[in-house]
Amino acid sequence: MGYVLKRFVQMLFVLWAVATILFFMFRTMPGTPLAAFIDSTITEEQQEALIAQFGLDKSLGEQYLLFLWNLLQGDLGQSFFFKKPVVEVVWEVFPNSVILTLTSLIVAYLFGIVAGAYLAWKRGSWVEGMGIPLVLTTRAAPEFWLGMVLLAFFSFYLGWFPSGGANSSGAEWPSEWQRVTSADFLSHLALPAITLAIYLQGLPLLLMRSNMLNVLQEEFITMARMKGLSTWSIVMSHAARNALLPVATAFALGIGGAVGGNVVVETVFSWPGVGRLLVNAVAASDYPLAQGAFLMITFVLVVMNFIADISYHLLDPRVRVAASG
Amino acid sequence: MLQQADEIVLPKRGLPGLGALAGLWARATAIPRRDPFAFAGLVMYLIFILVAIFADQLITHNPREILFDAEYDLARNLPPGGDHILGTTYSGRDIYSQLIVGTRGALIVGVTAAVSVVTIGTIIGLVAGFFGGIVDTLLMRLADIALGVPFLPFVIVLAAFLDPSQWNVVLGIALLLWPQSARVIRAQVMSLRERAFVEAARVTGAGPWRILFVHIAPNVLSLSFLYASIAVGWAILTEAAISFLGFGPSDSITWGYMLQDAYASQALGRGQYYWFVPPGVSIILVVVAGFFISRGYEEILFPKLRD
Amino acid sequence: MSLNSIASVRSVVATGLVATTLTTSATSLWADAGDPIRSLTLISRAQAANPQQFQAAELIAQAWRELGLDVTVQGLPRPQQSDAVWYNRDTWDLTMWQMVGRPERSDPDEFVYNLFHSSTAPKGYNFVGYVNPEYDKIAEEQRLITDKEERKVLIDAAQDIIDRDQVYAFLVHPLKTYALDKTVWDASSMVEQPGLGIKNFWTFVNAAPVGDQTDMVLNSSDELNAINPFYISGATDSWITELIWDRMMRIGPDGLPQPWAAETVQWSDDGLSVTLTLREGMMWHDGTPVTTEDVVFSFTAPVDFAPMYKPFVDGIEEINVVDDKTVVMTLTTGNAAFETSTLSKINLAPKHIWEPLLAGLGEGENAESVLEETRIGSGPFKFNRWVTQQEVVLDANADHWSAPKMDRWILRVVLNVEAALGMLRSSEVNFMSDYTGDPDLLIEAAEADGDLEVIDSVDIGFQYVAFNLRRPPFDDANFRRALSAAINRELIRKAAWNGYAVNANSHVSPALVFWHKDGIAEGLETGMDLAKSILDEAGYEVVDGRLHYPAGQTEAFVE
Repeated sequence: MGYVLKRFVQMLFVLWAVATILFFMFRTMPGTPLAAFIDSTITEEQQEALIAQFGLDKSLGEQYLLFLWNLLQGDLGQSFFFKKPVVEVVWEVFPNSVILTLTSLIVAYLFGIVAGAYLAWKRGSWVEGMGIPLVLTTRAAPEFWLGMVLLAFFSFYLGWFPSGGANSSGAEWPSEWQRVTSADFLSHLALPAITLAIYLQGLPLLLMRSNMLNVLQEEFITMARMKGLSTWSIVMSHAARNALLPVATAFALGIGGAVGGNVVVETVFSWPGVGRLLVNAVAASDYPLAQGAFLMITFVLVVMNFIADISYHLLDPRVRVAASG
Repeated sequence: MLQQADEIVLPKRGLPGLGALAGLWARATAIPRRDPFAFAGLVMYLIFILVAIFADQLITHNPREILFDAEYDLARNLPPGGDHILGTTYSGRDIYSQLIVGTRGALIVGVTAAVSVVTIGTIIGLVAGFFGGIVDTLLMRLADIALGVPFLPFVIVLAAFLDPSQWNVVLGIALLLWPQSARVIRAQVMSLRERAFVEAARVTGAGPWRILFVHIAPNVLSLSFLYASIAVGWAILTEAAISFLGFGPSDSITWGYMLQDAYASQALGRGQYYWFVPPGVSIILVVVAGFFISRGYEEILFPKLRD
Repeated sequence: MSLNSIASVRSVVATGLVATTLTTSATSLWADAGDPIRSLTLISRAQAANPQQFQAAELIAQAWRELGLDVTVQGLPRPQQSDAVWYNRDTWDLTMWQMVGRPERSDPDEFVYNLFHSSTAPKGYNFVGYVNPEYDKIAEEQRLITDKEERKVLIDAAQDIIDRDQVYAFLVHPLKTYALDKTVWDASSMVEQPGLGIKNFWTFVNAAPVGDQTDMVLNSSDELNAINPFYISGATDSWITELIWDRMMRIGPDGLPQPWAAETVQWSDDGLSVTLTLREGMMWHDGTPVTTEDVVFSFTAPVDFAPMYKPFVDGIEEINVVDDKTVVMTLTTGNAAFETSTLSKINLAPKHIWEPLLAGLGEGENAESVLEETRIGSGPFKFNRWVTQQEVVLDANADHWSAPKMDRWILRVVLNVEAALGMLRSSEVNFMSDYTGDPDLLIEAAEADGDLEVIDSVDIGFQYVAFNLRRPPFDDANFRRALSAAINRELIRKAAWNGYAVNANSHVSPALVFWHKDGIAEGLETGMDLAKSILDEAGYEVVDGRLHYPAGQTEAFVE
């Protein structure tokens, strides 16, 4: 438990450090925060009132302490643009981002694990010879480009899927759960999730394959083989189980990474998520909102890093010895 | 790719001093014979590098110039053929020339980013691993922080608030992606510093910095190369994404810029696949070439994987 | 109302790219030339954000280089551009800029006064720093004259002065392009409003469905900002506020204010007081009646609580309630634009909801930061919901005296134009209200589809190059005239706006048929030869290919 506690303290430290970096980055960037109000008949007094309203007239140190204090209470400030609490704006779209991320990750990992095991089993064959370069190619394709091509073909040309958004116009549901399980939502989810999954499946596939290759060389496999079990059943029942742990860890890390990395896909598919919120907030000079969306993404990333680390540590006895840094 | 670090297991041997470099060279030149894909990657790299170097000779038009036809009308949306190998854009620029010049932009961003991130990562890894103690702890906490910052959002914020420039991408990569290589190199150095050849150097009176950079560093360079070949692709993909989101510079032409332009100018709706397919495929080829090479290296570094 | 748009002026005049003959002596015969003019930066929105503007900037820079200027185009995101131009007025030289159309800009006052009056130079819209007492006087006088014909003389004079001084190099009034699905909407029920096109209040209350689909689904290429009757936020937001909240008057399809919530609007002979009679039976969406108390509240609250609306009620000295249907507003001075810029602009907000909210505001806060989520108004549409980054849904208010024929009005946020066009074609959108792409492509799509109708019209807004008059050589009208003359407007119109624009040379759009000075754009003489001869006569010289100041003048801004 000492390790877990130590890692937890480390996680808090990282969260604090990133929040601090963010705060100073946003405050020292060139450009006035009032640029968001340019197209208005705004007078000098009004400008000063706005500056006071957002606390920008205080010293940087005071602003920083205030920022930390508010952050501890879960208050990310007021959006310049929407004139409402940042937390409220971020929460509204956060579920969409999480659903998109989880769906694409699950699809990617299910496919990646099976295909990776298969390619390890087929080691040295032409299937593997073609498969590996193909997988590497999917990882080399820019996600937004892949999204553009899929959108053009499946949506604009074939008309199988809607052109963007998360729901049809004006559609209403009694509950959030019914919304996200509706056929309408799923048809909107399909293309962006597939785009992301195509990109994401490469990592679990390659990981699974190389772990499988390691495991297949170990003694208990040879034992099983001697017992006369068929190769595929050995692969699936014995080897796979042992090769899965690093993949599961990568999954947790993947959630953290993907929530931030979804930015471009959310943009291509007009998906209402945190990434798009961040891009728009940045473009509109909405500092508090950009900062809030960024912190939200950071939070997920850091917590997922923590969970991955802890689970790896607790589940794999071999790591315990090595983990000293 | 961030997680690709996990796939890399440490090399099990260490060669002393310059001998290590020679060994590395011998292994690198062995690639074509052992791995056709790595060889293909090297050839692709070579082609792209040549194109980038001779871009000025290869282009048929100034890629930024607004072109007009004989009637002084804007030469927009021309199909491929004739004067324009890949046709023209909606704003009347030559697509082929943009594609060629874009190679230069992509490679410059890719290579600069790779060199900076791997240099930082290698130095930090060396210092942390060799000196240990408080230095190591501080550097590794710094690595935790860098890993805690979401990468793409960070680059977006940099690109949006600093003056638009492709160097924002390089800066973002250099600041955030060094821990991957630093951690692996650190672990490698920790095992190397206990080896006999280091002990031998110590006995002959070599100072710690000399031991670190003359005796240990050459042994981790192959790892640095491995990370560099991955970082090139990472940088090119990131630059493309930033340009696509509209935070790229207006005054330089990259593949990301071309894709953004094509998307904003409705090339999809017009069916101008000759506009948005070539830059996309070019990105894939350069990035995948880096992957092929890195895998080739990996298999040479870790021959265990070969049957 | 007819669909005939005044817009389809697309005369294609084959013009030369740029005349290149050199008339002035481009040699250093005169040893006493001034300093060379510094290198100049022409700021523009980034290519990604506004391709038309960026393209125009590059064409203009190409032309100016032929005059011997060293010009580079710098594409910037909006925040940086605002920072470089709007908030730092002394340091920029040249920028591309645009003014957008809004219903209340149907009266020329806002542009005529705000853009060039010297009082707005330090912080307001006159960011170019134009100071001309002669112009100030005209801009002030036109506000006081209520006789249309007399005022027209002044508005013409204002346009002439700006034309003479070339304070801006005006480029074009873009055409706004809209499209609708004819299988959903009766095309003849659309209402054309000059300068705004068919996307306007009148269309939304008039549009008649032809089939079972009774929801109008529109698109916006911008994220929505706020829906608040006391806050002028984004352009798209204002489409929504004007549907939910009624106003005493509304700008009619003819561009002139007409009585709306006020059944009658009676002016006193001296033009200093106006008597307004409230329409019978008006109800707030929560079922309570609209009273004269609400009217008084709506026109007084902005003074303390709505900074953006404050300028529009500043001219009101007092408001008296005469009886339960009548109020009298007394003005401090006569104001020709009062009906347009005040009575047609101030939203009627329910006192019973807003008064307690405003009373609870803290220090430094105002009505803009109030998040009033019921959004109760008295307009022809009721607020239903707003899903961030996705859509706003309004329901028709069947009890309104001008009840819409549709059931719901749904605005979808679709940030990219390719997706928006895809949605129109797949009927996910049935009224394209915000099309930022290539109009040719929309027309092609309509032809291929058969169910779509495309309608365009001239914008009240315009695109231009702004010179910083605070910095030489841009303080010299001759220099500005020469630079403006070097721009081939026809080329810009075709190569940057793909022909979907009309040439501009005035801050009063031809969409405002009555106020626009006829022939002012055609009257602008241009050409590279002309530009060079203007420079020559003013004493500027080209030495070794680089343009120099007239003799004796030094470069005040060292590079």
